[in-house]
Amino acid sequence: MFSIPSKERQPKVEWPLLLAITALMVIGVAFIYSATMANESSGVTSWYRQRFFMQCVWYLFGAIGAGLICLVDYHLLARWSLVAYWATILLLVMVLIPGIGATHGWGARRWIDLGVFQAQPSEFAKLSFIVAMANFLSRPEDELRLRPIFWKALGMTVLPFLLIMKEPDLGSALILLPVGLTMLYVAGIPERYLRNLVGGFALLIALLVANILFAPPHWQIKMEEYQKRRLQVYFGRDFIPANATAAERQDARKQQRNYSYNVDQALISVGSGGMMGKGWRHGTQNALGYLPRAVAHNDFIFSVIAEEKGFMGSVVVLTLYSVVLFTGIRIAGQTRDRLGKLLAVGVVAMFFSHVFINIGMNIRLMPVTGVPLPLLSYGGSSVLCSLIAAGILQNVYIYRRSY
Amino acid sequence: MLVFDQLKKNDPHLRVITWGVLIGLAVLFAGLWFVQVISHRHYAENQKAQSFRTVRIPAIRGKILDRNRQPLAENQPSYNVSLYLDELREQFKDEWQRNRPKGKLTRSERMLLEPQARYRVVNKVVQKLGAGLDQPLGMDFGQFLRHYTNQLALPLLVLTNLTPVQIARFLEQSGNPPGMDLEVQPLRVYPHHTTAAHLIGFLIQDNSSAVDEDAFFNFRLPDYRGVVGIEGKFDQELRGKAGMKSVLVNNLGYRQSENIWTPAEAGKNVVLTIDLAIQQAAETAMGNAHGAAVVMDPNNGNILALVSSPAYDPSVYVPRLTPEEALKLSDERLRPQINRATQENYQPGSIFKIVVALACLENGLDPEEKIYNPPNPADPGHGHIVIGHHSFKDTAPPGEYNFKRAFIRSSNTYFITNGLKCGVEKIVQIGQRLHLGERAGLPTRQEVGGNFPKAQDLKRGWFPGHTANLCIGQGAIDVTPLQVAVMLAAIANGGKVLEPRLVDRIEPQGPLADESITRFPPNPPRGELGVRPRTLQIIREAMLADVEDEREGTGKAAFVQGMHICSKTGTAQVKDVHGNTIDHNTWFASYAPFGDSPRYVVIVMVEGGISGGGTCAPIAQKIYRALQYQESQQKSKPAAMARIP
Repeated sequence: MFSIPSKERQPKVEWPLLLAITALMVIGVAFIYSATMANESSGVTSWYRQRFFMQCVWYLFGAIGAGLICLVDYHLLARWSLVAYWATILLLVMVLIPGIGATHGWGARRWIDLGVFQAQPSEFAKLSFIVAMANFLSRPEDELRLRPIFWKALGMTVLPFLLIMKEPDLGSALILLPVGLTMLYVAGIPERYLRNLVGGFALLIALLVANILFAPPHWQIKMEEYQKRRLQVYFGRDFIPANATAAERQDARKQQRNYSYNVDQALISVGSGGMMGKGWRHGTQNALGYLPRAVAHNDFIFSVIAEEKGFMGSVVVLTLYSVVLFTGIRIAGQTRDRLGKLLAVGVVAMFFSHVFINIGMNIRLMPVTGVPLPLLSYGGSSVLCSLIAAGILQNVYIYRRSY
Repeated sequence: MLVFDQLKKNDPHLRVITWGVLIGLAVLFAGLWFVQVISHRHYAENQKAQSFRTVRIPAIRGKILDRNRQPLAENQPSYNVSLYLDELREQFKDEWQRNRPKGKLTRSERMLLEPQARYRVVNKVVQKLGAGLDQPLGMDFGQFLRHYTNQLALPLLVLTNLTPVQIARFLEQSGNPPGMDLEVQPLRVYPHHTTAAHLIGFLIQDNSSAVDEDAFFNFRLPDYRGVVGIEGKFDQELRGKAGMKSVLVNNLGYRQSENIWTPAEAGKNVVLTIDLAIQQAAETAMGNAHGAAVVMDPNNGNILALVSSPAYDPSVYVPRLTPEEALKLSDERLRPQINRATQENYQPGSIFKIVVALACLENGLDPEEKIYNPPNPADPGHGHIVIGHHSFKDTAPPGEYNFKRAFIRSSNTYFITNGLKCGVEKIVQIGQRLHLGERAGLPTRQEVGGNFPKAQDLKRGWFPGHTANLCIGQGAIDVTPLQVAVMLAAIANGGKVLEPRLVDRIEPQGPLADESITRFPPNPPRGELGVRPRTLQIIREAMLADVEDEREGTGKAAFVQGMHICSKTGTAQVKDVHGNTIDHNTWFASYAPFGDSPRYVVIVMVEGGISGGGTCAPIAQKIYRALQYQESQQKSKPAAMARIP
């Protein structure tokens, strides 16, 4: 009987997680400052409208969100998950409607304008997807072996995936696949289903890539031109038509350079950082505008960090993420119910996919897709979701024994 | 530990997940190691290549000074207005926003219209500057476009060589257009224009790197290279070492900041033996005559003045030669770029009789022995001599001639007779000791060697007529005025055949660091004349009489009270290919004063003159007067003497 109070005295807060996340937030603010304040025109804007300050505000809101999440037992949260899921599906549909969704001039309709805040429903869709999926898969083990359950789970993944693809936001959509797959795997769906699924996916992607790279123009699947080009650039192919005139050829080559420009410049940034980096706010790639200013503080924030802090800085960032990821896995291992485990695994999978795709894209391991780096990239939706996701981890940690 | 605890747990699913994350992070780690550590150099170089532009900054060219450190070539600040385009970027943007056509534009349309918008801004700014400076200014679209595409990182030169009034206005105006800056560039100037132009040489624009210099630059600021003369020969020393600055540019190519990596090292000054005052006096004395004058110190070979007339103004080459000036410089008749003192062959005429006299007197001629000069049947007032079938005219009247009279009347009969008696080999020997037919050794190498018979020339096809012709300085002989100066110096200084000396030292600009001065002490004499002092004495006395014998001296027009000038005049016939006389080159070869401490050799040569005594002697007189005046000035101002290093 003496063991119970000792269990109750177990810390309620997973400190490594909290510390790692705090450290990431500090780094985020510091380098968003570095990335945006180099731009001379930002000197005129008042400080409270600066990006680094806005990011602090998002951190604050995110922390409050995470705190609130922690107040409610995740078992209770899970019961509302379907509501959240369908609400985000509704938002994803709404964002496609021209009057409601905003394009921000990027050609993709990803934002819902809420006045002070441009919400990006695809970010929230990831979260509600994780919770709903975890809830759905936390049924008795026997049911998981049933085919309809598997198909339903697959449907739950594919619906937001397609909607986000439609925006189009290939990166965010693609995140859903590894997350869903990991959750299916950990939940204990029979492995042959998963094998078929993965095999099917691989085939599909291979076909898609082959189609883009090798098929004659009117046989190609309809994709946004820029998506296609990004992939072509990633695979190092030029998109010069065989019968192009010299002028067209030159034009195409120029376009090619423009498309691969971001990646090339990101690589130069990362590579020129060297071992120790050029020092905070001393990166030239960003200050001189070689790293495009529109992306330096969000999708390519890692380039800024890597250039200014070098390999050591990159390792620190990687280490902090690995602390978050492995704490998440540990929390998943400590839970006694499948819901908690699935929630934790879902969050870990989401974080990992973001980190891997984003950093990979900075060093040309991955094609350029607009995937933010959690907590470091500038952006309200991304920050809120990342912190709430961390809150979910913490929530699982707190309430894992209380059933 | 956090990671390995997971791997030990008995949960196969989580173990797989852990491995997956671990492998993923390891891949990222390895990728970052590869990019940031292994390939660091490659990317750092890429980064530098795209954001740094190196600019070559030419050094300030050294001066060319006379022996009293008076500048013959120096640098003057030239004030230019430059426009920094990077400071107009906001205006470019505004102009584009204001005047761009509505609607969506294709890429090529933008490429066409945007430069025009920029050009409008620049042109407006330049016009505004012009209004402020009271000088209508504009910018050519092509020029702007060239600058914008090729050297955006550099300022655009808007106006060069501002007048002092314009500089004052520019500095006073607070409302100068943005991005304008006043810049100073050293510009080569030749303060005395045509003075010593041939010696100084000239510059041409050449921005290329020197031999030991970094060869790669993105941009080069205008620089000059010396071509001939001192500017050419000592170009490396004068030019100094170019510096390098780097300009950091942004992704659009606009200048962001500048950083000087290696400052330019100023070139060194070249100090000549030339005396500006004497040079100018000699040039004035020459006037419009075409010809040359040399003033030399017979003790050490120092050239005090080297005049070639007509001369050109080396300033016309800076900043660049205009077509009209180029046309003037290539005038076939005037040939202003030829240094007549060193670069042209002239027949010496009677001044060569000095050499004949040396040979004869050394070989037993009794100076008092008289020779009869018979009258010329065609011209009874003058003598003549017949050698073979050819009759040589003599300008001297018929009668009895001893050495002195023959010398000052320049009797052809006397010198031909004695020259033939003595033998051409002996004459040629003396000439060779004087290094006739060879370059005198001027450091600028703008020289020809003249012509002089060699020993083997005398063995075949050489007849007494040739010797007779040589004895009066015609035929197989050509000299330059500089060679004649060396010859006269040898007579004056007792037989030392000197090498002309033009450059005294090369010293750094600015504060003198003694060890970095390169001195060029006089070279040892090239040879000795090897004649008895008595022979020299007889000739010197005859030469003195040439000026001071009031009755018969041909050079008496050069007489200067107190100078005791010793001279020999000459008038050489210039013949065309058919052997007809078409012109005369007249000579006055002299030194002063008579005696054991001669100080000056003065050679004057005029193309198309009437006679040596009539055309050249008055010019020489003016030069000697100037020399005398300078000596009197220096005597009265010993302090000024002391200043001369």
